[in-house]
Amino acid sequence: MFERYGGTKKALLILLFVVLLLQAGSICKGQAFRPDEWIVREPGAFPLYPDPAVGDDNIECIALNNVYEGLVFPDPIKGVVPHLATEWEAEPGGQKFVFKLREGVKFHNGDELTAEDVVFSMERLQTIGEGFAYLYEVVEDVKALDKYTVEFTLSEPVGPFVEMLVRLYIVNKNQVMANLVTPGQYGELGDYGKRWLLMNDAGSGPYTIREMELESHMLAEKFEDYWGGFHENAPNFIKLIATGEPVTVRTLLGRRELEITDMWQPMESLMAAARIEGVELAYLPCAQNLQIMLNTKRAPTDDIHFRKALAYCMDYNTVADKMYIGSPVAQGPVISMVAGHKKDMEVYEMDLDKAVEELKKSKYYNQLDKYPVELSWIAEVPEEEKIALLLQANAAKIGVKVEIWKKQWGHVIADAMRPETTANATIMFVGLHFPEAGSLLKSRYHSSSCGGWEQMEWLQDDEIDMLIDKAFATVDKDERFAIYGDIQERLVELCPTLWLVDHAEVRAYQEGYLDWPLANHMKAGGEILCPLMGSFDYFRDMKVFPEKRAALLGK
Amino acid sequence: MEASTVSLKEARREGMRRSWYRFSRSNVAIVGLVGVLLTIVLAIFAPLIAPYPQHASAFVDYENAMVPPSRAYLLGSDPSGRDILSRIIFATRGALKMGIGVLAAVVPLGVVVGLIAGYHSGSAIGVIIMRITDIFLAVPPLLLALAVSAVLKPNLFNAMMAVSISWWPWYTRLVYSMVCSIKNEFYTQAAELTGASKSHIMFREILPNCLPPILTKMTLDIGFVILLGASLSFVGLGEQPPTPALGTMVADGAKYMPQQWWVAVFPGLAIMFIVLCFNLLGDGVRDTLSTEEV
Repeated sequence: MFERYGGTKKALLILLFVVLLLQAGSICKGQAFRPDEWIVREPGAFPLYPDPAVGDDNIECIALNNVYEGLVFPDPIKGVVPHLATEWEAEPGGQKFVFKLREGVKFHNGDELTAEDVVFSMERLQTIGEGFAYLYEVVEDVKALDKYTVEFTLSEPVGPFVEMLVRLYIVNKNQVMANLVTPGQYGELGDYGKRWLLMNDAGSGPYTIREMELESHMLAEKFEDYWGGFHENAPNFIKLIATGEPVTVRTLLGRRELEITDMWQPMESLMAAARIEGVELAYLPCAQNLQIMLNTKRAPTDDIHFRKALAYCMDYNTVADKMYIGSPVAQGPVISMVAGHKKDMEVYEMDLDKAVEELKKSKYYNQLDKYPVELSWIAEVPEEEKIALLLQANAAKIGVKVEIWKKQWGHVIADAMRPETTANATIMFVGLHFPEAGSLLKSRYHSSSCGGWEQMEWLQDDEIDMLIDKAFATVDKDERFAIYGDIQERLVELCPTLWLVDHAEVRAYQEGYLDWPLANHMKAGGEILCPLMGSFDYFRDMKVFPEKRAALLGK
Repeated sequence: MEASTVSLKEARREGMRRSWYRFSRSNVAIVGLVGVLLTIVLAIFAPLIAPYPQHASAFVDYENAMVPPSRAYLLGSDPSGRDILSRIIFATRGALKMGIGVLAAVVPLGVVVGLIAGYHSGSAIGVIIMRITDIFLAVPPLLLALAVSAVLKPNLFNAMMAVSISWWPWYTRLVYSMVCSIKNEFYTQAAELTGASKSHIMFREILPNCLPPILTKMTLDIGFVILLGASLSFVGLGEQPPTPALGTMVADGAKYMPQQWWVAVFPGLAIMFIVLCFNLLGDGVRDTLSTEEV
């Protein structure tokens, strides 16, 4: 009897021990990696897809610029400079480019970067057809002439081809091919490594992904074998965090758990953040345009006169003076500081009389009640609500009803896929993909970009398409810029967009323990030559001082 | 016959006098009643009471954005320069519409379904109705309302519909349990024996005896329904701009805490005041009716 009970007791003890072991195991497994204090953290609008053939929004560009590298590099201060390519030659016709690669560049897994990887990266981007693929539709052929030489053949001459290459990020062919998931939508190439590259990286940039949570954060650590090296105070880790909620951002700044804010914070919140000891504001004129995209394929914004009425309703000066301080009123579709912008164009100004005149010409004039304008703003960018309310208030004065919708970023991207689900009007920031007017014109108004968040106008205008194609095929810069001018004038006439302000990013950052060369440059009265989306947040150039952080925390 | 009708009326009047006496003895209930009446008056006469009625419609004034509480703006102004007091006064309309509208929809539905299920308890009809009710009860009301609202276009009507879908089963469950016991009372059986129709028995014999608990639940529920509606508008699924909604005002103001505290705090206090007053009133009604039952 006693023995029997003893046996049961022993069995229970063993069971308990096993359970405890399993529990301990699960706890160990669940423990997240804790980076050291040499870290720079920044919030952003997630989801983040760090695949060079997929990502193209602001947070993705920040991630790609730090984890991957291109043949040329978009240095905000110096312009487009050689990077993985040390030199290049272009044939006089502008259809053939030969690049010489830097030798000894290593991918994060230790493989050497060669011309084969460049060929693979371009082919993969073109085949998948997402992200920045549209920039390279003209690339007819790309081949490795030897281990360090690569040749691009274009179907037609492209003037700004070298500048366009800032968005070609080189991936490690062997690593991607070793991680294909089959079967997939790309035949024998399976999923072309898309699933693996969502959570891992195959780049050669200064940082390599250590942890990736699609809806939460991306933690990357310093790649010690980086060919360009690091200065001694360069951050060991960078972390992109999925939060933009202003109170959270300010709290994290105050607790020194965030080093730089994103660019979407409301001005009131930034001013409050600047009152925290050691935190300062950086004003960075960026190549981003704040706009309201009008869906030209959905009533009532399919009517040109209705669109013009809205354009005359908008109070552009209030947006510039009260909401986005330091950002000038936009002068057309292209940002004023960008090469190729057409100066002295007649743009829309607030004029309610003209708005009524245009409205009367619209086919919806006698049935305005039946056709409210659905206006979306991005939930992650709280400041946009003010613009929505401003347009709603002004439109009401001419009898147009505006219904405001607050949408999450992911929701907006999904809605942008079809004209019938795209809102009549969407408030949106859009940036350059390469530093020339053609970048914005193509990504925003060419028919090939319909279906993505960068063109919710669904313009699909044959003449605009033809002019953009013609400009891209024009090697002579002056001629090309003249065509850019014609496109801008035609766009102003078609009025598919309300161009609000040329955005100047205002960021709060921990000036007390973070040295940000770009912010210092702007403080010293410097200029920005290459204001590409995501290029301001190149963490390798920054310096962190944990002892200063500790001192601030101790106060 | 006339004499008996008169005495019945007098008895009812006397009953009401006693109820009011008992109700008025509770200071807390009176506070609740006054608060509710105040809210109703504010909602009805909002255009006359609000200092800036135009601020509740499509209006912005960025020159006066984020003004702290002052003489011009007693409760301060919001990020778009609109008077917060005026917007709170107008927002009471939406809150009351939500509370009254939802209960107006769910009480008849829940009660009728509960009556039918209770009267047929034990039969297939009763079992099917109550299992469907149980399925709805198994999902948390806020979650169900959020799911429904997310599918529908966000506006007050759809928010009311979403809350209604999650609220009717509570009345069905309440009435069902009461009907199950009342249907075995002698007077119900007597009505059956005299050949009264089912509808007569359900609606004339059983239903009047279920009313006190239903009334109590209604007065207690209205505050919670308003709170649920405010939760929906907090996440952007209720009234849409420019119509003011208390939940939306709290959500918008939360971004500016703690520096510009007035943007979120006053609408939050308004929600608290309305819900508290309805709850106090509900408590008073419950106490009065339960004393009567004793």
